[in-house]
Amino acid sequence: MRLSDRVTGSFVATLGVLAAYGGSQFPPVPGQDVGPSVFPMVIGAGLILCGLMIALGVGHSFEDEAEAEADLAEIQGLSQQAMPVNPLRHRLRALLPPGLLLFYVYAADRIGFVPTAAIMIFASALAFGAKIRVALPLAALAPIAIHLIFYKLLRVPLPPGLLPMPW
Amino acid sequence: MNELLEAFRLVLAPDVLIAILLSSIYGLVIGSLPGLSATMATALLVPVTFYLSPIAAVASIIAASAMAIFSGDIPGCLLRIPGTPASAAYTDEAYAMTRNGQAEVALGAGLWFSALGGIAGTISLVVMAPVLAELALNFSTYEYFWLAFLGLMCATLVARSSPVKAIASMLIGLLVACIGMENPGGVPRFTFGITELLGGIEPIPALVGVFAVSEVIRAIVSPEPPPLPSRKFGSILAGQLALTIKYWRQMTRGNIVGIIIGVLPGAGADMAAWVSYAMSKRFSKERKKFGTGHPEGLVEAGASNNASLASGWVPALLFGIPGDTITAIAIGVLYMKGLNPGPTLFTERASSMYALYIIFILANIIMIPLGIMMIRAASYILRAPRATIMPVILVCCAVGAFATGNNLFAVILVAAFGVIGYAMENNGFPVAAMVLGIVMGTMVEQSFVTSLIKSDGSLLPFFERPVSAVLATMTISALLWPAFIWLWRRFRPGQQEQMS
Repeated sequence: MRLSDRVTGSFVATLGVLAAYGGSQFPPVPGQDVGPSVFPMVIGAGLILCGLMIALGVGHSFEDEAEAEADLAEIQGLSQQAMPVNPLRHRLRALLPPGLLLFYVYAADRIGFVPTAAIMIFASALAFGAKIRVALPLAALAPIAIHLIFYKLLRVPLPPGLLPMPW
Repeated sequence: MNELLEAFRLVLAPDVLIAILLSSIYGLVIGSLPGLSATMATALLVPVTFYLSPIAAVASIIAASAMAIFSGDIPGCLLRIPGTPASAAYTDEAYAMTRNGQAEVALGAGLWFSALGGIAGTISLVVMAPVLAELALNFSTYEYFWLAFLGLMCATLVARSSPVKAIASMLIGLLVACIGMENPGGVPRFTFGITELLGGIEPIPALVGVFAVSEVIRAIVSPEPPPLPSRKFGSILAGQLALTIKYWRQMTRGNIVGIIIGVLPGAGADMAAWVSYAMSKRFSKERKKFGTGHPEGLVEAGASNNASLASGWVPALLFGIPGDTITAIAIGVLYMKGLNPGPTLFTERASSMYALYIIFILANIIMIPLGIMMIRAASYILRAPRATIMPVILVCCAVGAFATGNNLFAVILVAAFGVIGYAMENNGFPVAAMVLGIVMGTMVEQSFVTSLIKSDGSLLPFFERPVSAVLATMTISALLWPAFIWLWRRFRPGQQEQMS
């Protein structure tokens, strides 16, 4: 998901324009020159400047970006080279963790913590390539252990839902 | 003296000792798993600290982060995959030593010099903190503004990517901090009519998202690392004394560089390791041996990253300005536990401060036995498949964020910041700079606006007071430094080759 500097730079600059415009709309504090609008406008101006510099490639050669990237590639391991060749499926898999978190928000109060967490763990374990005979027991046991720690020991009010735990 | 005794009493309480032990083990395990960093270990620990006493809460963060920074060396040495970014600088060196059959020496050096570095960093904290506290008592909003700004600039300066992108991510962080009603006018800003946003974006869900969820996303799109061959280790600490005597200069230099980088607001352990490794290579008499399994750079960088960890607490405790991403989290916990950072912490809560020092020393001492056990157990722990760990971490992210306010909106924030963090990191925008922007935004704005109101809109008083003038000079030179380097290289091409 590496976008060109032109795209990210324009995005940053647009964000800056929105921030500065939004900032200028805030009502001032009566009798004061400096109010809630100053800071967003300063940030907006900075973002516009940075965004333009990134998009136009100014300062691209400021520092050893290439070197840093080479280092980064090395750190992230030789493993990255062996990436599967299916980029679309890849990108879709990246959406799974945030999607499961949103599922948690939707489902936790409706069906309770343990079933929700079990579904999350089962789905993500399969996405990580676990076999069913590993994923199933993990999805059955891990939520109970997490529930025990957070609900019993740390007193986080996790919703009981369909499957209340005995403690 | 009474306060010192009281401090010992605080630390030796059973709940504190148990917290130190458990969080040490937790830190060792998380740090040793590739992709799970020390910052992530700390972020996931925060919900647990809600339910601990103040000292136990801070102790668990100190212990977990110190252990995680050390144990990041283990997979770096055995698999050539650093467990935490702070170990990345010398991973190749350590792996080369393993291939030469010197895995024990490499791991032992990581452990031994980490512990010594941590103790050196603690000593710097003990020495520096009271002196700076006295100075800080005279600070007004002008100085705080420059200090916070300097911290943000340092964070962008040390990022190992384009400084323009680093500044852009810092500004995005500041913009995120604008969300909510907590501003000079009490006006809801950028809330888009969402009630939950009125209170602003809490740093903890943002941190969990950026550091933990984005790692899960990264892991899910990259293939599993190779399994670790099982092996028996000889004595871990044998030969470390000889190394200490042979390389005491390098060790001291590593400690000092680590301490300086740690104290600089915004720059942390990973930067300390990179700088120290490069320095060790530059000044070494046996430069050719670097990269082939030579312990010299390992000694210096290992001594450096753990030293920076302790000294990173100096600005955090004195000014509430994080020295690195770990202390950025710790500051939140300090506030929550009533140990508000600031110079008065030393006068009013002296025993708590001493307790912190003792915890640092204690954590670095027990690091040695626990670290040896961890190294011996590494073959088993590193064999745990990612497919079982990452799903559990994902659920812990959700529960941990929920626990910060018993509020499901925090989980949405975690998901959003996970995606933002992943997208930014993939495009070369350093997320650490954004996180510091989020954490420090309110403080920067408050000191900026209050100062402007005091000065009737004039910028002159920002430079008039002596300390603020010095801080302003440092900040502005940090801002202009990349441009200076660029010009330097452009007009002296011969110099460039020498430098690289």
